[in-house]
Amino acid sequence: MKQSKDPFEVAFEDQDDESPPDSPTLAPNEIETQSKSQHQAQSESASAQINVDGNTQEDYDDDDVAENISARPTNPKPLKAKDTGKAKEEEDDEEEEDNMEVELGKFAANGDPDKMAKMQSILSQFTEEQMSRYESFRRSGFQKANMKRLLASLTGSAKISIPMTIVVSGIAKMFVGDLVEAARVVMTERRESGPIRPCHIREAYRRLKLEGKVPKRSVPRLFR
Amino acid sequence: MSNSSAGPSSKVRVGSSQPSETTFKRKRGVFQKDLQHMMYGFGDDPNPLPESVALVEDIVVEYVTDLVNKAQDVASKRGKLLTEDFLFLIRKDLPKLNRCTELLSMNEELKQARKAFEVDEEKLATIE
Repeated sequence: MKQSKDPFEVAFEDQDDESPPDSPTLAPNEIETQSKSQHQAQSESASAQINVDGNTQEDYDDDDVAENISARPTNPKPLKAKDTGKAKEEEDDEEEEDNMEVELGKFAANGDPDKMAKMQSILSQFTEEQMSRYESFRRSGFQKANMKRLLASLTGSAKISIPMTIVVSGIAKMFVGDLVEAARVVMTERRESGPIRPCHIREAYRRLKLEGKVPKRSVPRLFR
Repeated sequence: MSNSSAGPSSKVRVGSSQPSETTFKRKRGVFQKDLQHMMYGFGDDPNPLPESVALVEDIVVEYVTDLVNKAQDVASKRGKLLTEDFLFLIRKDLPKLNRCTELLSMNEELKQARKAFEVDEEKLATIE
């Protein structure tokens, strides 16, 4: 299974390939289903575990996802089962998918039904565009291999531990979030619309530096 | 020029004349695909401008570089570079700190789950 393939794109391809299901049973498959549609060939046993609940194999569909997420509260357990069931697959794939599932499952694991309920009530009211953007937000991330290579070249040591890669990727992703949000603020101030332009990003970067969110170099950078 | 023996698969890189890991020549667009999705998720257009993506990539690489340099400074007193050094650096930024601790604990959970699964598999194998 190609790890290099973007799960985002794979999900889209699957969506195009298969027709929407006829009977949208309120299957608490949640987002696992569309991740499953990627792993269909491999995770027979994993899907069997889920199918024990009597769910039909549903493909990723925006509406279904919203439905399924709202149907979530009945189903925190198969999530855990699914985690172990998929454990035999490659680590990389797993981390991508389980990130999403375990993150949703974390709401349940935290034992905070209020938070979970709130989250679901919000998610159920998302428009399609919002849902797709949220999906992008949750699923996107830096490729571990690329980040590892970058860190190795920066530290000079060949071995970079996996937790370190995870931490730096997380920090970098949030930094991108800060940048993009600040750029949007700049755009509203200038009353502009459309895609974000480099001038907005530069202004956003300047503001972040003033706020102190960007680590400062003790030595100015020469000869870039 | 001999390749650095410690380089992880850097030779696969296309268009890079120097396979050395410590080269400052950075291939453009390493994070391009990921960044496009990420920027959309955070509020940009579904198709961000390529120049914006390139600029954000440069900024992120510089950010990570500075972060790593600072972490190495902090870690040099102790010796080895550890994950805790990064956590120390972002201690003032609460959202990032919480997110990182969450990610690390999730990673631990997954490791435990995988371990437990493998133990079960072994048990099944021995039973049969």
